[in-house]
Amino acid sequence: MSIEIGHGSFLRRIAIHTGAGFVPGMNAVVMGAALAAGKLGWELVGIRDGFDGLLHPERYPAGGLITLNPQLIENLDPAAAGLLGQSPRVDPFHVRQIDEDEMVEEVDMSDHVLDRLRAEGIDGLISIVGGQGLSILYKLHRKGLNSVCVPRSIENDIAATMVSFGFNTALSVTIEMLDKARQAAQSARKIAVVEVLGEQAGWNAVLIPEVPCDLRTVAARLKDKITPGRPYGLVVVAEGATLVESSPTQAQPSSLKASLSPLATGDASDHVIKRSGQAAETVARGLQLLIAEETFPLVLGPWVRGGVPTAVDRQLGLCYGAGAVRAMKAGKYGVMVAFQPPDIKFVPLTEAINKVRTVPADSEFIQIARSLGICLGREL
Amino acid sequence: MNQPDNPSALTGTVLNIQRYCSHDGPGIRTTVFLKGCSLRCKWCGNPESIARRPELSYDSKKCTGKKECGVCLKSPFPEGAFYVVEGGADDKVTVNWHLAMDCDEALASLCPTGALEIFGKSMTVDEVLDEVEKDSSFYRNSGGGMTLSGGECLLQPDFSAALLAGAHERGFNTAIETACNVPWRFVEQVLPHVDTVLHDHKLTIPERHKKWTGVSNERILANFKKAYETFPNADFIARTPLIPGINADEEHIRSVLAFIRPYKNVIDYELLPYHRFGLGKYELLGEVYELDDYKTPSDDLVKHLQAIIDEAFGRSGQESEGGE
Repeated sequence: MSIEIGHGSFLRRIAIHTGAGFVPGMNAVVMGAALAAGKLGWELVGIRDGFDGLLHPERYPAGGLITLNPQLIENLDPAAAGLLGQSPRVDPFHVRQIDEDEMVEEVDMSDHVLDRLRAEGIDGLISIVGGQGLSILYKLHRKGLNSVCVPRSIENDIAATMVSFGFNTALSVTIEMLDKARQAAQSARKIAVVEVLGEQAGWNAVLIPEVPCDLRTVAARLKDKITPGRPYGLVVVAEGATLVESSPTQAQPSSLKASLSPLATGDASDHVIKRSGQAAETVARGLQLLIAEETFPLVLGPWVRGGVPTAVDRQLGLCYGAGAVRAMKAGKYGVMVAFQPPDIKFVPLTEAINKVRTVPADSEFIQIARSLGICLGREL
Repeated sequence: MNQPDNPSALTGTVLNIQRYCSHDGPGIRTTVFLKGCSLRCKWCGNPESIARRPELSYDSKKCTGKKECGVCLKSPFPEGAFYVVEGGADDKVTVNWHLAMDCDEALASLCPTGALEIFGKSMTVDEVLDEVEKDSSFYRNSGGGMTLSGGECLLQPDFSAALLAGAHERGFNTAIETACNVPWRFVEQVLPHVDTVLHDHKLTIPERHKKWTGVSNERILANFKKAYETFPNADFIARTPLIPGINADEEHIRSVLAFIRPYKNVIDYELLPYHRFGLGKYELLGEVYELDDYKTPSDDLVKHLQAIIDEAFGRSGQESEGGE
């Protein structure tokens, strides 16, 4: 039986939206899902800006939902930025609101999200999300949402899939930037310490979170490598890399502790902010104290989050989007579309959350890196 | 709703009671930090005070890991709330903040190392005042007393009013620290019991105030004006958390001065230079601090702005401590 919704007769109406943070290739996922849904006679609508289009439709003159009709999809540039928009916070369990007394408060609007989906005749939701988003969608699924997730991660740290879309583009940009950093180091006759993405997994880096780094080991290798004929160095450190022992230059809590904060005068003041650039700064200054060479920190940070998706990410996104629709057709919910070579699988969300796809410290990848003469910061 | 018939038994959510404070009003003071805030200032140094309810925190430095402990990985802790990253640098626990929301004081107390804690607890007025009473001799000698801070202490008006009235009954000077983003009825209920009102003028322009704190300042400024006029016997001290690039400029300082100087009971205007101490607490709560690269204001800038204030208060040429 077909139902009259949106632009015509459809057998079913499903929706797609994105989690917080930009990853190149979002449009490819939307295209894949729309094409596959169209083949089934389903209508696919996009929710603008995370859940905002659903929760606050009044903010959007053209409506909070975008009908992803064939004409729109035909003209959609898969290399362009995300059609659906973004929101910095996509968590319906903690929606920041201003109440009737003009006071800010975070409220649980998960029930409202489910009600709004029902009211719109949407009976399945494809979510393009990272690690945090998977947990949120898992909670919504437990509350009854027909949820299928597509993994996106420029750090490639989502478990249960060999690769998340966005990673290949980020890696390509990272390599391009490292080439430039090497040229800069070469011309300046210094050591460039480049911080790349990787909070918990080091697929983009050399000094990685999985292998605590001993700066003395790195310093010794640099001493060996830096010669009059090659008077420069390049160190690539993940933002989440850890040191075996504190760097001599690590920031110490100041004596100026008079503070608005009750705990700033207690133990908690010993915590330093983990911020972008901290790893590069710590390693660069630490190395400079250990060897008679000048170092300079560089931070790739947000530069690798944008850009035109690579062919791999476009292909992967298209595949994941269509795969999500196929999961719904098969009645599989509470799942994530995963690339587990040689096939695409639909894995339960419980297999993806609370896990991190780390670089195995005893893997052949590590051994190969060693055989290439790459110093990982520690002899294993 | 609390029990208004028996004020000393009223309960509130208290974050911390800090003794021997010297920056939160006259003399030596005990500052009672209440939980809950109605603003979301991006520079906030007290993230643990923002939520109104008690909340979980996790300090990985205190965690001894799965091999030695692993208590939180099993029942009665919620399934999936805690996990260990296989192949990670160590076997310390990671919190899935989305699934750990239901962890309460009873559960957190099961953590043998204290890595899990709950920020905030329910206390009665008498319990708080008995704690404050311990330093009463210091208050007498220094002219100090009790200060209510937060969060926003006016968000718990029944509790705050009872605490302050109780403090007065015990002979303590009283002060509050407030941003005043509450309905006037809350202000009206609490301020009769306050000797000194330390109040924040964070930004002057409404749109910018909304951008950086979450709400416009129109109601806040209206509350300030009404408070100055309604409580002429209270001392008001204006304050500005001074953040370069946001509000650390002459224009803001002069705007605040223009606002407060007509009122004789606004006795001072203090600058609180932005700092980053304790901001690692965001990590303890699984949150992200948004002002990543903001610097503390230079001494020269603080001195320059302080000189403008001193001049307005007729203190030109005098030494001034200028904030914290």
